Amino acid sequence: MKLSAIKPVSRVLARELAVTALLLLGVSVVVFGILYLAPGDPLNILLEGQSPRSDLALGMREALGVSRTWHGQYATWFGKLLQGNFGNSIRTGLPVLPELARVGVNTLYLTLGSLAFTLLIAVPIAVHAAAHGDTAGNTVATLVAYIFSAVPVFWFGYIVVYVFIHQLGMFPLISGTATRQGHAWLYFLVPIFVLGIASGTLSEMIRHLREELSRVLAEDYIRTARAKGAPVWRHAFKEGFLIPVTEIMSAKIPFLLGGAVIVEQVFNWPGMGRMAWQAAQDRDFPVIMGIALVAAAFVRLGNLLQRVVFTAVNPRASKE
Amino acid sequence: MRRYVQAPGPIGEYSGLPLWQRAAPLDLVYVGYGLLVVAVVAASYLLGTFGWLPDDPQRVNVALINAAPFTSGHVLGTDFLGRDLQARLILGIQAYFLPGLLAITISVVGGCVLGILAGYRGGWFDTIITYFDNLIDSFPRLVLILLVIAAFRPDMYYIMVVVGITSMPAIASLIAGKIAFLRQKNFIEAAHALGLPARTVILKHILWFNCRALLVIQATLGMAEAILIETSLSYLGFGVQEPTPSWGNMVQAGANYFLQGRFWPSTAPALAILATILGFQLLGDGLNNLLEGKRRK
Amino acid sequence: MDAPVLSGVEGPLLAIENLRTYFYSRAKRAFIRSVDGVSLGVARGETLGIVGESGSGKSVTALSAAGLVTAGPGVISGRIELRTNGTGYNLLEGLEKYARVTEQDGRVMAVEKDERGWRTHSEQLMAGVRGKKIAMIFQNPRSALNPYSTIGKQLVETIRLHTNFRGRREAKERAIHWLERVRIDSPRLRFDNFPFGMSGGMCQRAMLAMALSAEPSLLIADEPTTGLDATIQSRVVDLLAELKAGTGVATILISHDISVIQRLSDRIAVMYGGTVVETGRAEEVLAPEVVVRHPYTAALLASIPNAETIRRKSYLQAIEGDVLDTIDVPRGCRFYGRCHRVTDAIRENCAGLEPPLAEVAPGHKVRCWLYAAAGKA
Repeated sequence: MKLSAIKPVSRVLARELAVTALLLLGVSVVVFGILYLAPGDPLNILLEGQSPRSDLALGMREALGVSRTWHGQYATWFGKLLQGNFGNSIRTGLPVLPELARVGVNTLYLTLGSLAFTLLIAVPIAVHAAAHGDTAGNTVATLVAYIFSAVPVFWFGYIVVYVFIHQLGMFPLISGTATRQGHAWLYFLVPIFVLGIASGTLSEMIRHLREELSRVLAEDYIRTARAKGAPVWRHAFKEGFLIPVTEIMSAKIPFLLGGAVIVEQVFNWPGMGRMAWQAAQDRDFPVIMGIALVAAAFVRLGNLLQRVVFTAVNPRASKE
Repeated sequence: MRRYVQAPGPIGEYSGLPLWQRAAPLDLVYVGYGLLVVAVVAASYLLGTFGWLPDDPQRVNVALINAAPFTSGHVLGTDFLGRDLQARLILGIQAYFLPGLLAITISVVGGCVLGILAGYRGGWFDTIITYFDNLIDSFPRLVLILLVIAAFRPDMYYIMVVVGITSMPAIASLIAGKIAFLRQKNFIEAAHALGLPARTVILKHILWFNCRALLVIQATLGMAEAILIETSLSYLGFGVQEPTPSWGNMVQAGANYFLQGRFWPSTAPALAILATILGFQLLGDGLNNLLEGKRRK
Repeated sequence: MDAPVLSGVEGPLLAIENLRTYFYSRAKRAFIRSVDGVSLGVARGETLGIVGESGSGKSVTALSAAGLVTAGPGVISGRIELRTNGTGYNLLEGLEKYARVTEQDGRVMAVEKDERGWRTHSEQLMAGVRGKKIAMIFQNPRSALNPYSTIGKQLVETIRLHTNFRGRREAKERAIHWLERVRIDSPRLRFDNFPFGMSGGMCQRAMLAMALSAEPSLLIADEPTTGLDATIQSRVVDLLAELKAGTGVATILISHDISVIQRLSDRIAVMYGGTVVETGRAEEVLAPEVVVRHPYTAALLASIPNAETIRRKSYLQAIEGDVLDTIDVPRGCRFYGRCHRVTDAIRENCAGLEPPLAEVAPGHKVRCWLYAAAGKA
C-alpha cells in the first residue's frame, strides 16, 4: 500500500468502525428488548443488582434513579454496560463480566482453533476442485464433507471421546480433570477436531471457496497472466483466495460459537458455551445476557477485521 | 480421458433436452435421495400423529435392554430401557416437524417481504433492511435461543419463531439480489411499461416466476437447520423432555452407555439425524444446481 | 500450407498447419467446430491481419496458438511451428498422444482427449514461449489487467520474467521507458495507477507496453481496438503502426474492422465459419479494382460505408443471411447459403463439396469453386 493510499483507506476504515459501532448498538437494543419483554421483569433485578433494596417504595426507587420508562431503563442499563457492569450471576452471585473474561478465552481458543482446522481441510479440496474440475477424488471428498456437515456434533464428539478412551486409554477425559502423563496436549486438540469437522460449516466452506476461485480463474486478467507466462496463483491470490477465505471465516464465526455451546457440553470444556447452557437452565439471565453481548461483539469484531483486509487489498474500496 | 461424441443425425434434435437429461447425474442423485427423505419424514410424521406405530414407544422392557436390530420383533432394536427404537424414532419426528414448518414459513414469508421492500423500493428501505440483516447475523443462533429460553421459557414454538426470524435476512438478500438482477435485465421496467400493477409484478412475475425455485430451496435448507436446532436443544435438555422421545434427547440419554460398549441406543437416533439433515441439505443443493446454477450449453 | 511471400530463407516465424479446435455442446450433443482446418503463416517482421465476423474462429485460432484454450475438447489436431533462432519446434508436439479423433465421411464425429494430460504437457511446451516469444493482448483492456495490482507492478513482472532487467530498480526504469513509448502521459505517476483509474485507451496502451516490453518475436493482438471509442481507436492504431516499425515485431492482428486491418496489415487472411477463405497480400485482397476474390470478402468490402456511398446516400449493403453457426456446418462451401455469385455450372459443387484453397495469383489464394480450377492448393 502506498502512502498516498493511506488517507482514503483510513477514511473507509473509520466508516467501517462507525458501522460496527452502530450494529453493536443495535445488538444491545435487541438484547435489551428481550429482557424488557420477558415475564418476571428481569431488568429490574438486573438494574438494582448491586444493591438490591426491593423493600424501598416506588418513589424512593425513582429517587435513586431507577427509571420506569423503557428508554430510561435502556439508558441506565447501557450505561452500566459501558462501565463493565453486566450484573451478577443469579446462581453464583459473582459479577458477570470478569467471569466471562475468565472462561471466554477457552471458547475463543475453541472457536478459532476449529475455524483453522476446518480451513485446513476445506482449502485443499476447494483449490483442487477449482483448478482441476470434478475429479473422482474431489467429488468423493466433497460428499464426505457433506456427510460430516450433517453429523450431529454431539454424537460425533462422544464417538471421538470413546475412541480416545478405548484406544489411547485416556481415562478421565470426559470429566475434564488431569489426564495421563504425556497425552495431555491431545486433550486440547480433540474438541477442536470435533468442532472443526462436524460443525456443519465444512461443506459450505468448500463450496464457497471453490466457487469463488473458479470464478476468478475464469476472469480475463487471469488469462492475461497466463498469456504472459506469469504464475497464475500470484494473480488469483487476492481475489480468489484471500478475500473468499476471510469472508467465509468471518461469516462462520457465529456458527462456530453456537457449535461451541454443544461441544463444551460434550467435553465439559470450561467455556462461555457451557456457561450459557448453565445460565439457560437456571434462568440466570445476567450471565446469558452477557454472553449474548460478548458473542455478538466477537462476531462483529471478526467482520470488522475482514472488512479491513478487504479494504487493504482492494484498490477500489479506498476510493469510495 | 474424456470422450466427446456427436450424436448422429441432424443437429438441433437434441437441443432443449428436458432438465433431467441435461443435469449432472450427481445432482439427480442428491435430489432423489432428498425427496426420499422428505417422503419418509412426512410419512413418519403422519404415522406418529395417528399413533400407527410398530410398537409402544414407552413400553419399558427390562428383559430386552439395548437389543440389537431385528431382535424379537424390534426392527431397530431397543434402547437402554428396552423401549422399541423404531417407534421412538418415528415419534421423535413430531418434535421438529411442525415447529420446523413454522420456522420456514416465517423465514420465507418474512424474507420475501423484506427482500421485496429492499429490492423493489430500494433506497432507504434497502439500507435499513441491510442493517437489520447484519444485526441479526451478529448473534450465534444458539446463544440467542438460550437467551430467549432464559428470559421466557423453553418452548419449541417460541424457539422456532426465533429461528425463523434469524433466517429471514438470508432469504431477503437473495430475493433482493434477484430483483437487482431482473432490474438489470430491464425486466421490471418492461413490466411497468406494459402497465402492470405493482402487486401483479411483485407477486406473479417476480416471486412466482423467478423466485419460486429459490424459495423452495431455502425452505428445504431451512428445514435442515430447524432439525439441527431442535435436536441440539433436545440434546442440551431444553426441548422435549423424557420420556417423550426426540432424536436429540435419545442421543444424549444413550451416550451414557458408551462406556459399557453399548453404542446403538445413541447411534440409531444420531444416524437418523444425519440421514435426515443430509437429505434436506442435499435436496436443497441439488435443486440449487439444477435450477439456479449457471446454465451451461 | 500457406507459404508467405515475404519469407526469408529460414521460413515463416509461425506456421499454423491444419489446426482444428473444437468445443462441445452438451445440450445439443454436437461439436462446435470453431477452428476447422486452418493453415496460416506469419513471417518475421510481417503483420498478418485476420478479418472475419464474430464466430468465424479468428480469436480461437489465436488462443490455440498461445495455448490458452481451456474448454473441452479444445485443440484436437494440427501443427503449430514456431521458428526462432534458426530452430523450429512444434507447439502442439505430441498432441496425437492425448487426442484421438474419429472421423466419419470426412467429418469428425468423436474425440477422445486426455485434457489434464494435454494441459500439463502443453504448459511444458509453452513455458518460455508465452510472454517471451509470443505475446498477446486482448479485447477489453480494462478487464484484462489485474484490478488488484498497479500497472507498474504488472509491467515490472513481465520485465523481470522475460528480460535481462532483473533488478527491481532497473526493471522499474525499463517499465517507465515503455510507458513513455506507448505515449502514456506522466509515466512516472501512472506507474502507480490501478487499472480502474485509467481510461480504456490508456489501459490498452499499458497492455501493449506490457506485451512488447518482453521483446517478443510475435505479437498477437486480438481485437485491440474493439470496445474503445472511435477517436481512441485510431490513436491506438497509429501507436501500433509506430511500434511495429520501431520494434520490427511480427504481428497477428485480429479484427472484424476492415479499416483497422487495412491500415496495419502486410498480408491478410479472411476467415469464415472456422476456415480461411482467402489469403494474400493486403493490397491484392483489398484493392477495389481486383475482381478475383472470395464472394464473402467482396460482400464485406461492399458493406463498408465510404465517402462515396455516404455522398450518394445509398443504402448500406448488408450481407444477407446469418453468420454460420459452427455447430451445424454444411456439407459444401460454408458460404453457399449467402453467396450471390453462384452459377449453375458450379452449383452442385458448392452445395456438396468444400472447395479447396486455390492460388489465383502468386501468393493470393481463394477458397471458392469459381476459381478452384484455376490453380492448385
